[in-house]
Amino acid sequence: MEKYTLIITEKPDAAQRIASALNEKGKVEKKEDNGVPYYVAKRDKEIVVVPALGHLYTIAEERKGRNYYPVFNFRWVPRYAAERGAKQIRTWIETISKLANDADMFVDACDYDIEGSVIGYCILKYACGNKENVSKRMKYSTLTKEELEKSYAELRPHLDFALIEAGGTRHEVDWLYGVNLSRALTISARNWSGKYATLSTGRVQGPTLKFLVSREKSIRSFVPTPYWEIRAEVEINGSVFEAEYEKQKIEIKTEVDTVLNACKGKNGQVEKIDVKRFKQNPPVPFDLGALQSEAYGLFGYTPRRTSFIAQRLYLDALISYPRTSSQKLPPEINYKAILKKLSRVSKYKKFAKELLRKPELKPREGKKKDPAHPAIYPTGKLPERDLDDSEKKVLDLIVRRFMAVFSEPATKQTMKVHINVNEHHFYLRGRQTLKEGWLRFYKPYLRSEEVLLPPIEEGQTITVKKVISEGKFTKSPPRYNPGSLLRKMEETEVGTKATRANIIQTLYNRKYVREERMVVTNLGFEVLEVLEKYCPPVVSIKLTSELEERMDKIQAKREKRENVLVDAVEILKPVVQELKEKEKTIGKQLSNFIKRARLEERIIGTCPVCGTGKLIILYSRKTGKRFIGCTNYFKGKCETSFPLPQKGSVRPLGKNCRGCGWPTVQVRIKGKRPWTLCFNPDCPLKKERRKKIEMCNMQ
Amino acid sequence: MKCVICSRETDEKSYCELHAKAYENINKKYDEWKKALEISWKEYLSEIVKNPLTGEWAKEVAEHLIKSGEKQSVTQR
Repeated sequence: MEKYTLIITEKPDAAQRIASALNEKGKVEKKEDNGVPYYVAKRDKEIVVVPALGHLYTIAEERKGRNYYPVFNFRWVPRYAAERGAKQIRTWIETISKLANDADMFVDACDYDIEGSVIGYCILKYACGNKENVSKRMKYSTLTKEELEKSYAELRPHLDFALIEAGGTRHEVDWLYGVNLSRALTISARNWSGKYATLSTGRVQGPTLKFLVSREKSIRSFVPTPYWEIRAEVEINGSVFEAEYEKQKIEIKTEVDTVLNACKGKNGQVEKIDVKRFKQNPPVPFDLGALQSEAYGLFGYTPRRTSFIAQRLYLDALISYPRTSSQKLPPEINYKAILKKLSRVSKYKKFAKELLRKPELKPREGKKKDPAHPAIYPTGKLPERDLDDSEKKVLDLIVRRFMAVFSEPATKQTMKVHINVNEHHFYLRGRQTLKEGWLRFYKPYLRSEEVLLPPIEEGQTITVKKVISEGKFTKSPPRYNPGSLLRKMEETEVGTKATRANIIQTLYNRKYVREERMVVTNLGFEVLEVLEKYCPPVVSIKLTSELEERMDKIQAKREKRENVLVDAVEILKPVVQELKEKEKTIGKQLSNFIKRARLEERIIGTCPVCGTGKLIILYSRKTGKRFIGCTNYFKGKCETSFPLPQKGSVRPLGKNCRGCGWPTVQVRIKGKRPWTLCFNPDCPLKKERRKKIEMCNMQ
Repeated sequence: MKCVICSRETDEKSYCELHAKAYENINKKYDEWKKALEISWKEYLSEIVKNPLTGEWAKEVAEHLIKSGEKQSVTQR
């Protein structure tokens, strides 16, 4: 049999795209072996492109078993050997190994970043039989035909071993932290209560939880203080405007009364008009964090969701590789070609053509760099399938941002009119855009309002219709949401662009936080308290970012993997020892809160019938069926109960019904869209719906 | 000892670490309220209990202070 070139990709979609791009003769052949797809492309020589399924190998302890710690000896193993539910990985590895037997050239075409490099390296080393040193490397940032062909023509002679070492070390250090600390918590709680509950923490998870707990403490112990704001309603040329008082906040009530009395029935005089013009530069291109923050702010998508959407758009060759921290757009991406392609889309036509008319295209760039990839940009390719709404929104955001960075700065003008009312000064402010510049490109996503003022002259008398005061209170700092938490992690260099979104999701999965505005649960407080009390180094933000920095240095060949690993173990050893010694105390502390957390999960809200009890999901002792009952039933005070669907899962929604104000639950049944259930039989919305159905039936 | 509000363990103090912080804030902020509205300690406590912007733990401490009739902390004055 003639030997072929074996290309390994990270995901099946990428394999298909690479095979199609490299194929020169006839059609790409899709084959399957044991359910594992691979593609055969024909050029001067046959090419077989086989995908992985993300990581096929992982780290596991040398001694089997999950019920012990500390664990400091580990090895890389196939995922099926270490994880439950990873059975299909076995057939996947077997197929790759089979295909490797007849290959005489190997190419790693996994994503060019830390994760992709580790995935490709492990497959070449373990599944292909030590081919990591002879393999070549494809480097690309988009899955377009042109770039893939170029990348194949200019293959890198070997793998990026510095990147692999950095990635491998990151996995190893995180595994050491995660497995030891999580097992310590889980085993302590289980040994005390006899019940199993997964508790976890890790090198990044602990410090992230610490941010949340610290904010939650400030919010819960917050005491507001009163202050007042004074405004004057002034009339100019028949229109009414609001002018603000010179002191934005007045903290003494008597001072407010003095101002109001002094201004009562008085007119104002314009003393001075300050006009300022300034330029507002275009934004910089998106890196992953900025895209996640913007999508959260505009569409409410969690960072994880945005990451998934961007990944899908990338696999469809619509945008460049999204897991980048770069804010640079090098000329090699060919700005003109992209804009030309974008000009084929009617909604971008006008903007793209305008940019193409410029004598020179120069993007405004940010400071952040990424050695592997440029900032996120559109390829200009048209979608080959119908995109869903979320994909359309994120793609449009990326396209508009891309065009905006090449545009001119906007010119804005602010106006501050100083009005004297009986020796008290008020300011009337106006905001106006004089030249839109890049704002036109990004218009759907802008959030600032214009305030246009009529012509006013210095010395002009202004009619003051009334002067009013408004009592207010200071507010606690806001709760983090997934977007702002992600920004905080970026600022403090905790985690990486690839892991941050997942860490945030894990905090929800472990029930350390709940709701979109992240509220720390009692369990979250307890876990952090245990960690801070018994092993403060593992929640130290400084230590985490120091480790992060050292791992980055491995990539730059300025640090050695062995040193980082030895130091990580040195930090962990005494910490785990302490946890082991205090296992009983920790177990007792955590078990109580796990029990409470499980109970809290079943509470739906206040009972609308008795008003004092809580409605809770209960299970009948006789039938085992679930229903909603009031906690006051146990005190003999309230017999309220409602039936619940017996299939699927039911969870309190934390929101009240918009029709009757009763608490609601969400029901999820596999294969069906989740729905909100109001269990009030007399809910006006239900009555309305019934009426509509009856009307329809009559017609 | 146990916290008088949430029964968490404390070291010979009436409040746990979490409620102690809220108690400290209540004492600290009274000065500003007094200056702003010239109100008494008792009136101040009922105002912050009513206020929806007051944090959960601060509310619990204020309610406890009202019930127990405790005067403003001398050390804070």
